[in-house]
Amino acid sequence: MADERLELPQGTLDLLILKALALESLHGWAISERLQQVSREALQVQQGSLYPALHRLERRGWIKAHWAISENNRRAKYYELTRQGQKQLEAETLAWRKLAAAIGHVLDMA
Amino acid sequence: MLSNLLYRFRALFHRKAMETELDEELRYHLDREAEKYRLAGASPEEATRRAKLALGGPEQVRQQVRDTRGTKLLEDLAQDLRYGARMLAKNPGLTFVIVLSLAIGIGANTAVFSVTNTLLLKPLPYAHADRLAILWLRSPGIGIPQDWPSRGQYHDIKTRNHVFEETAIAIGQSHTLSGLSKAMKVDGIEASSSLLSMLGVKPLLGRIFLLEEDKPGRPETVVLTYGLWKQAFGGDPNLVGRNITLDGKPYTVVGVLPRNFRLNHEVMPTVGGIDKAEVFLPLPMDAKQELNYGGENFNILARVKPGVTMQEAQADISIIAARLREEHHRDPSFTISVVPLIEQVVGNVRSAVLILLGAVALVLLIACTNVANLLLSRATARQKEIAMRTALGAGRMRLVMQLLTESILLGVLGGAAGLILSVCSLYVVRKIHPGNIPRLDELGMDFRVLAFTFAISILTGIVFGLAPAFRASRVDMNSTLKAGGRTSHSGGLNVKHDKLRGALVIAELAVSLTLLAGAGLLIRSFVRLVNVPPGFNADHVISMQVAATGPKYEEHPQRIQFYENLAQRVRNLPGVTGQGGVSALPLTPSVGWGFMDIEGYVPPANQPELQVDMRLATLDYFRTMEIPLIRGRFFSGTDTDKSQPVVLVDQKMADRFWPQGDAVGKRIRPGDKSPWHTIVGVVGVVKEYGLDTDTRMVVYYPHLQRPGNTMFVVARTTTDPVGLADAIVHQVRAIDADVPVYDIATMQQRVHDSVARQRFAMTMLGAFACFAMILAAIGVYGVMSFLVTQGTSDIAIRMALGAQRGSILSLVFQQGMGLALIGIATGLIGAFSLTRMMGGLLFGVSATDPLTFAGVVLLLTLVALSACYFPARRAMRVDPMVALRYE
Repeated sequence: MADERLELPQGTLDLLILKALALESLHGWAISERLQQVSREALQVQQGSLYPALHRLERRGWIKAHWAISENNRRAKYYELTRQGQKQLEAETLAWRKLAAAIGHVLDMA
Repeated sequence: MLSNLLYRFRALFHRKAMETELDEELRYHLDREAEKYRLAGASPEEATRRAKLALGGPEQVRQQVRDTRGTKLLEDLAQDLRYGARMLAKNPGLTFVIVLSLAIGIGANTAVFSVTNTLLLKPLPYAHADRLAILWLRSPGIGIPQDWPSRGQYHDIKTRNHVFEETAIAIGQSHTLSGLSKAMKVDGIEASSSLLSMLGVKPLLGRIFLLEEDKPGRPETVVLTYGLWKQAFGGDPNLVGRNITLDGKPYTVVGVLPRNFRLNHEVMPTVGGIDKAEVFLPLPMDAKQELNYGGENFNILARVKPGVTMQEAQADISIIAARLREEHHRDPSFTISVVPLIEQVVGNVRSAVLILLGAVALVLLIACTNVANLLLSRATARQKEIAMRTALGAGRMRLVMQLLTESILLGVLGGAAGLILSVCSLYVVRKIHPGNIPRLDELGMDFRVLAFTFAISILTGIVFGLAPAFRASRVDMNSTLKAGGRTSHSGGLNVKHDKLRGALVIAELAVSLTLLAGAGLLIRSFVRLVNVPPGFNADHVISMQVAATGPKYEEHPQRIQFYENLAQRVRNLPGVTGQGGVSALPLTPSVGWGFMDIEGYVPPANQPELQVDMRLATLDYFRTMEIPLIRGRFFSGTDTDKSQPVVLVDQKMADRFWPQGDAVGKRIRPGDKSPWHTIVGVVGVVKEYGLDTDTRMVVYYPHLQRPGNTMFVVARTTTDPVGLADAIVHQVRAIDADVPVYDIATMQQRVHDSVARQRFAMTMLGAFACFAMILAAIGVYGVMSFLVTQGTSDIAIRMALGAQRGSILSLVFQQGMGLALIGIATGLIGAFSLTRMMGGLLFGVSATDPLTFAGVVLLLTLVALSACYFPARRAMRVDPMVALRYE
């Protein structure tokens, strides 16, 4: 099963995390779950690479973190999108769409 | 951007908290992931295992997160520092030796740099000091390198220039301040009102001079310096407006200058040779005086307009000088030069200071080389540690960084210790400071010195650490680890196996040879200098200046009577074998000269009248000073104003004008209105201005015919001359308590002081060369001992195979001396090219004096031989059985 899943292209993990957080604030594990669900289990998100990415985004100020009580009554670190992150998400989404369209266009020509 | 910075700060300073948070976050993730698998039906163990697998190694995740924090470099640094400190503490002996060598090197550099900073870099303490200049007349063509301008020339410069914002004229003179408990001599400067305002002086009390005071007919006023105000008037706050008595006349005090203001001889050397101005007086000039081109006795200071360079100012003044040359028939080489004031102050010590700075930098270089050598030895010992780290995945750069951090740490430690050393040495320098090096009383630390020390500490750490670090990080880990801790590749007994160490030793020796050569030349110069006969016998002679000035001594008979009376009293003091007086004593700043007309001699066209030094001397002056009589007779008691005017000339003058030895009986006069004076004798040449300076021609007048106010009184004693000083001062007071006595010193002290600057340079450079030589000796010793240790098995095998101990000894010597000779040869080349720069500091010795060079080579060879001796002896005593078994 694992072999059928797609490896994430470089840099797209950040975009997916931002997208996942666009709806509501989530903790790390929930983000990983959410990504697998919404990508219909097609994407292979290395759980290990999730945390460095979260810290990188936090350092850039696109997301911010706070501790809160989770749905199973434990302390968990929740991440939410900042306004800057919101803008970044829109910009990156647009860029991704353009790129995908362009590449699709090139591939269709053949 | 801000969040980024805040995040990094937090990462740096709340590292622990962040780590804990991260742990909790990851633990939460694992628990939830395991829970998921448990709910799907896995056993608890299986669930935990699968969760861990999904996340990956927690340590790797942690490390990746840490890497994203952007503080990796700093954290590595902190880690390296901690580790480095531990390593240094583990090896206190080595650390001590390294820090000590660096402290000496850096401390000496800091001390010399603060001297450089004070002398050459700090601006003078005046407003817009970089735009101030002093003007000098020069006529190199007729042997007058520098002369004071006249009032007329000042007037022309002031009115015709296009480059100066402000000009000022001044003249120095000593005065007698009386009306206090005892009379004292004070140094004064008479100046145009522009002088003090141009220098940016704000008076502490009262005012400085007004423009109106530049014209005659105003009441007499005076401005006091802070020092005199405190010393003579106890800092009386109500002094302004009151009168003081100068040279017997009343002057109204109108102001007191601030404490930090000084206008010393080194800044503005006046004709009067006053050392440190204590009073300022106006210099009123009427229209006639303004156009007086005679009397070249004044100083001219000027400030160039903003944006005008000194070169532009010089070009403009040269035009005025050319016109003066035409109008006043000066010699063709006549110019007026614009000298930046800072050049005036430090110009003649600049080369010495820069040479010292260069020398001390070389010492530091040698210290670095030594430390590099020590670290190289340690790097060998640390091979195993480094191989282990490499095996565990440390990158080459990371290792180099770590080793460099250690050496920089050492550098900074050495710098800190050096700073303490230099503060101490500056204290010593201030104590022993010869007095005639400008600005040294301003010496001290400032931020520039601290920045310099910090920078060279870091740089030093990098310089001596780089080679060992790269060497150490280039480890073949397989062979090192396999060799089980034994020194892996024994180089045998051959320095060629260790080119780096060999090169370092060669460099050390070469640099110390250069320094030794420089010091040697200075020592030879100094010996030559102090052996220059001064033209008089300085042993057991006390001298002091006595000023019989003021209304009481306006008339000649009164002056004659005063000094005759004093001579009589001094002659009767116990222990006195001779006494005398002269208007300007050799090796003091006092001067006196004038035009001289020689009967039957017409100076060539386009040359000004003949100028000679003039001295007024009492009857017994020459006998007391033991200045020899070459021909004719000394003055006698019958040479009075009733008899014909007579003079003595010195041999220099006699040789120039009467080379046949027929000077006696010829006539000269100091101006065409004066009567002719007959030369009655020729006396020996006396070094008036310094042992290294050529004298000018001198004419002596008898005090009985031309009595002076201010005389240097000398007395020769059979006992300690210092003890006599008080007795003579007491005699002066007994005659007239209003006559001040000052500048008391033995002639020996004056000779000693006159070479203080040369002694200072020689001592400093000599000390640096000694340091360098000791460090180089340690370097040779270190390398040879290391070589012997490394080559023990080699030696043992040779011995086992039947080599004689003597041949082992000579083998070690061959190796060591091979390096030494290459170093010395390299050093000779360097020294030959570098000592040329010292030309200005040398006296009677050429910059490539073969004797000095030979001596230095011999000395360094001996030092290298003795540095080889101990390792060689150790090599000779190697017991082959023990050594081979150990291997």
